[in-house]
Amino acid sequence: MSDSLDGSALAGLMEESQDLHADAMRAGRHQLDDYVAAAKESSFEQSRGLGAGAVIAGVAGAAVLGSALPAFASGNTDVQVLQTAASIENLAVATYGVALGLPFIGGSSANGVVKAFAQMTMKQHQDHAMGFNAAVKQLGGKEQHKPDPKYLAYVNSQKPKLTNAAAVVGLAIALEDVAAQTYTKNVSQVSTGDLRQLFAGVAGVEAQHKAILLAVQALIAGGAPQLIALPPKLNKLPKAAGSVGFPDAFYPTKSASPASEGAVK
Amino acid sequence: MNARDHDPIAISERELTSMTSDLKDMHEDSMAEVRDNMASLTDRLAGIAQSQASRRSLLFGSLAVAGVGVLAACGSNSSGGKSASSSTNSPSGSSPYMGDLKVVALAAALENLAVAGYGLVLANAGKGAYGKVPPAIAEFATVVQKQHKDHAAAWNSVLKGAGLPKITGTPLTIAPQAVSALKSAKSLGDVAKVAQGLESAAAQTYVFAAANVADPGGIATAASIAPVEAMHQSILLFVLGQYPVPNSDIGISGAVQPSALTA
Repeated sequence: MSDSLDGSALAGLMEESQDLHADAMRAGRHQLDDYVAAAKESSFEQSRGLGAGAVIAGVAGAAVLGSALPAFASGNTDVQVLQTAASIENLAVATYGVALGLPFIGGSSANGVVKAFAQMTMKQHQDHAMGFNAAVKQLGGKEQHKPDPKYLAYVNSQKPKLTNAAAVVGLAIALEDVAAQTYTKNVSQVSTGDLRQLFAGVAGVEAQHKAILLAVQALIAGGAPQLIALPPKLNKLPKAAGSVGFPDAFYPTKSASPASEGAVK
Repeated sequence: MNARDHDPIAISERELTSMTSDLKDMHEDSMAEVRDNMASLTDRLAGIAQSQASRRSLLFGSLAVAGVGVLAACGSNSSGGKSASSSTNSPSGSSPYMGDLKVVALAAALENLAVAGYGLVLANAGKGAYGKVPPAIAEFATVVQKQHKDHAAAWNSVLKGAGLPKITGTPLTIAPQAVSALKSAKSLGDVAKVAQGLESAAAQTYVFAAANVADPGGIATAASIAPVEAMHQSILLFVLGQYPVPNSDIGISGAVQPSALTA
C-alpha cells in the first residue's frame, strides 16, 4: 500500500499535534484533579445520606473524607465506571500494539497515514488509561491494568483474521465505537459535572478516531487505498466518502458497556 | 479509455452507497433513543417553565465558559481547559430562556447557525463560487447540514414543549462575524477552516453543557450530540490536511458562552 504523503510534512503535523496533545493532557489532569475533589465530596455525601446540596467544609471534613475513601471505593459507581473505562483503553492500547506489529499497518508495506494514525491513536488511548486510573487511585480504588474481559475475547477471536488492513481497521472501528458509546452513556451515570465533562470529552475523541477509520475502511473496501493520503485528493474521492464517517446524528449508546464490566473484582 | 478511467473507483461508489444505506438504518435506531431523552426532558422542563420561581431554581450552576467562543475557535483546533467557574446565570433582560432552557436555546441557535452556514456554502458552491466542487465535499456539506437540522429540531421540540418560542434564527452575538467569514470565503479551504471552527466550538459547547446542565435528559442529549460534532470537525481537519484528532480531550476552552445568546 502506498500513498502520496510527504514524510517531512507528516512529521511536522505529528509534532504539532503532539504539542497540542500535551497541552490538552495538562488541562485534562487539572480536570481530573477537580473531578477527584468533587467526587470525593459527592461520594462522601452519598455515604452519609446527605442531600446533594450539602457541603463539606474545612480541614476536619477533609480529614474525615480521607478515611472514608476505601470504604466507598469498592462499590462506588464512579470508581467502577472509571475502571471499566481504563479496561477498554487498555484493550485498545494492546490491540493497536498488535496492529502496529503487522507489516501492512506498522511495517514497510504500510500506508504512511494509517501507520501514523495508529501510532498517535495508541498514544492517546494510553493517556486516557492513565487518566482514568489516576482518578481511580485518588478515589481510593484499585487501578485497572487489565483489558476489558468481554472485548478481549472478541479481539482474541479476531486475531487470526487480521491478515490485511481492512480486517484491522474493522476491528479498530469496533473498539473505538464501544469506547465512544460507553463514555457517552457514562456521562449520564456519573455523579459530578467534572466527571461528566471528562467522559464527554474523551467520548468525542474516540468518535473522531471512528470517523477517520470509517473513511479509511470505505476507501480500502472500494479498492482505492491510494486515496488514503494527507491532504486527501478531494476531487478523486467518491461522493459517498463525504458522509461515511458520521452515520448518526445522535451518537448511540446501545452497545455501551455496563459500569461493572471492567471493574476490578 | 474505459469507464474506470473516468471513474477509477466506480465499484467503491456502489459499495459506499450501500454502506451509507445501512448506516441510515442504524441512524433511525439511535433516533428512537434520542426521542425518549428529549421527551423526558420536555416533560420536566415544561412544568418548570410555568413558574418564574421554578425557573430560577433550575440554575445550571457555574454555567460559563473558560474560553473565547466560536469566532476565536474558527481556524483553531486547540482545546482543553478546566471546568468553568464563573456564572452567567443572571437573567438577561427580558429573555424567556433561563437556566437549562437557556442552554437549550443556545444549542438550537448554534445548530441554526450551522444549518445556515452550510446552506450558504452549498448555495455559493452551486453558483461556482469555489470552482468545481468535488462530489465528496458536496455530500459532506449536505449530510452535515441535515444532521444539524436534526439537532436543531430536537432542541426546539424541548422549547416548544416548555411553552417557549422556538429558536428559528441565529440569535447569537457571534453569528454576524461567522456568516461574514463564510461569505468572504474564496475557496473550499477557506470554507473548511470556518466550518472546522464552528464544529469545534459546537462540540466543546456540548461537552460543557453535558457537565453543567441539571436535567438528565439534557445531559444525555448533549452527550450524544458532542461526539457527532467532533466527528464533523475531524473530517474537516483531514480535508484541510491537518492531523484529524489533534487532542486527547475535546475540551471546553472554545465553547460558546450562554451570554452569546441574544434571544
